[in-house]
Amino acid sequence: MDAVEKANTARQKRWVKDRKVGEGTYAVVYQGREASTSRKVAIKKIKVGQFKDGLDMSAIREVKYLRELHHQNVIELLDVFSSKTNLNLVLEFLDSDLEMIIQDRSLVFLPADIKAWMAMTLRGLEFCHRNFMLHRDLKPNNLLIASDGQLKIADFGLARDFADPGHKMTCQVITRWYRPPELLFGCRYYSSAVDIWSVGCIFAELMLRTPYLPGESDMDQLKTIFRALGTPTEEDWPGHTKLPDYVPVGQFPRTPLRDLFTAASGDTLNLLSRFLVYEPRRRINARDALNHAYFFALPHPSHPSKLPKPAAQTSRPLEELDGNVDIASAGPGVKAVAPNKLKRKLTSPDGTDLRPLARRLDFTQHVKRS
Amino acid sequence: MSNRASVGGWLKGKTVRKGGITSNAHTARSSTPQVQSTSSTLFSGGVKDASGRTTEYFSMDDQCPVCKSDRYLNPKLRLLVSSCYHKMCESCIDRLFTLGPAPCPICQKVLRKLAFTPQTFEDLTVEKEIAVRRRIAKEFNKRREDFIDLRSYNDYLEEVEDITFNLINDVDIPQTEARILAHRQENAALIELNVQREEQYVQALKEQEELERQEKEQRALELRREQEIEREERETAQREIIDRLETSTKSAAKVIAKSRAEAMKRSSARSTTTTVLRSNAQLLRARAAQSTVVPDPPHVPLQDDWYAYEDLYTIRDQYDDMYSDAVRKDREGIMRAGGYRVEEAWDRALRCAVAGLDLVPLSGLKPSPGRTDSVVTST
Repeated sequence: MDAVEKANTARQKRWVKDRKVGEGTYAVVYQGREASTSRKVAIKKIKVGQFKDGLDMSAIREVKYLRELHHQNVIELLDVFSSKTNLNLVLEFLDSDLEMIIQDRSLVFLPADIKAWMAMTLRGLEFCHRNFMLHRDLKPNNLLIASDGQLKIADFGLARDFADPGHKMTCQVITRWYRPPELLFGCRYYSSAVDIWSVGCIFAELMLRTPYLPGESDMDQLKTIFRALGTPTEEDWPGHTKLPDYVPVGQFPRTPLRDLFTAASGDTLNLLSRFLVYEPRRRINARDALNHAYFFALPHPSHPSKLPKPAAQTSRPLEELDGNVDIASAGPGVKAVAPNKLKRKLTSPDGTDLRPLARRLDFTQHVKRS
Repeated sequence: MSNRASVGGWLKGKTVRKGGITSNAHTARSSTPQVQSTSSTLFSGGVKDASGRTTEYFSMDDQCPVCKSDRYLNPKLRLLVSSCYHKMCESCIDRLFTLGPAPCPICQKVLRKLAFTPQTFEDLTVEKEIAVRRRIAKEFNKRREDFIDLRSYNDYLEEVEDITFNLINDVDIPQTEARILAHRQENAALIELNVQREEQYVQALKEQEELERQEKEQRALELRREQEIEREERETAQREIIDRLETSTKSAAKVIAKSRAEAMKRSSARSTTTTVLRSNAQLLRARAAQSTVVPDPPHVPLQDDWYAYEDLYTIRDQYDDMYSDAVRKDREGIMRAGGYRVEEAWDRALRCAVAGLDLVPLSGLKPSPGRTDSVVTST
């Protein structure tokens, strides 16, 4: 047994797998604990054997970035070890996610709650961006909620660092409903502004309690966006007609946000409109957003411990985890975006066990972490 | 308005102050009939009940201690209480105090006309105690959270009780007043804060009540609608049966049984679809109760000092950078439209260059527990 193997077994012994809580296309997730402290953890076993060309891309991305990021609002990767031919990621244990909370009709949101969630999301995202990292898959079910109410950004399977000048990035990222128009137009050179658009969509979704821009296909997504926010003119967004996949999708007038968000305050709408600016360079960045008047206005953001939590669920069906990388699809890192693969279907209210894209470290009971 | 109220009272056979005495007041001689205050202009104050009204104490044996006129001589006799807790009738008050402040005929304390209040309780010491307690509660409004331990809170409560007792029983009045004044000066900010807290709580309570009421209404509406639908459905089902009996050739019993089964299925389907309206009011109440316990901290944009070192370097507008030529020359504007910025790449390069420059090398070689420093991959 050489030194590396020895270190690995030592590390492996630190963690105990308790039970399986979910399975996805490329990983199985177990609930486990640390052997010495019995602190609850989630252990994600990545199936290596199935992939002919080695490890799956998103597993590499997840490890690569989470190893470096340590922040209150970013999920923590505690350890990595191998067992037989599998790679195991030991992650922080988190109860629920924002999507569950949004969908739980028995919960009431106060404006202060939304403010608190937005502040935590933006703090986590600002931390990623300051470290020159794009998350590229922000959506409510990637925002996990710890038992103390802290929100944590998870799922770094599509994350990457800022590209060097002249290097192309893929535009097939971010779940469609949260994808910004520049990616829908096939832009290969983009910036942290793509994440900000997703934050804007999440902000709107928190207020509406239903997805804000639910397009049924990539084409329809553009139409949905333009219908809600008006078709951009050359003045709104210089150069967008030159983008690789640009197609005119028809002219829609701009409707004021006030018409849809009737109860929102002026600050709220101002921030939302700055998240949802067409021109990526004019879109607000995470740091400026955190300094926006919205966050300083009354009411103060709720204390994390007071945020609504879903009631203790009873025996949720095992959910598919990490199904975001479809083996059959075009290439690594490509989001499974076939129309029937969208994670949330409004038409199937009981489809919790059928969602192929759900990624959730989901456990049946609430646990206080030590 | 007061007239109308008294007329209503008279019609119901109640004793009403200004409407004169009705016959049944005599039967209730021993009990203390309660009278709605009708004087809204001159004499305010007194103890208010839940609906915000003052109920006045009234008895058949009332006699003005000043002019000795009683209810027999003057059926409209109304006794009011001075701030020194002596009773006298309205006409005496008018006579003595119309020309300005004058000494009380009983204890010689200088009184004003406006300082008289209606009497609520038969026993005037109760009246006084309530007034004192109300005054004290306004200033001594500290809460358990304002103290470090239970002991000091109890000491505080003891002191408050002490002061209250002194005021009620006229013990050491100047000294007690001095204590109150000292307390007020010391805790001005806290008192103000607690007043605000109290107001907030009241406000939350009110909102919640309103919501509850709305919800109840809504539920009632829903229920009514449901019943309506159910009734209609029953009627159509019956009509259907008759229609089928007319047209079908099958035996009557079978047709009826079939329609019944269908109706049953429909109604059971409906009962499952009607979602149980969880009581939103209850949830909100829980939230409101919480919000007074755990305060919401004001927003702090970033909770670390990452940007405190930004002045370690300044980024220039332009660099001689062959790698970003393509981006800067971007004639089509593809990169521009996508939001890509060369400046970000430069910023990153600079930051990577200066990061850690001020750290002492090789201090803290020991790996921190719980964190590992190499990734082990499968072999």
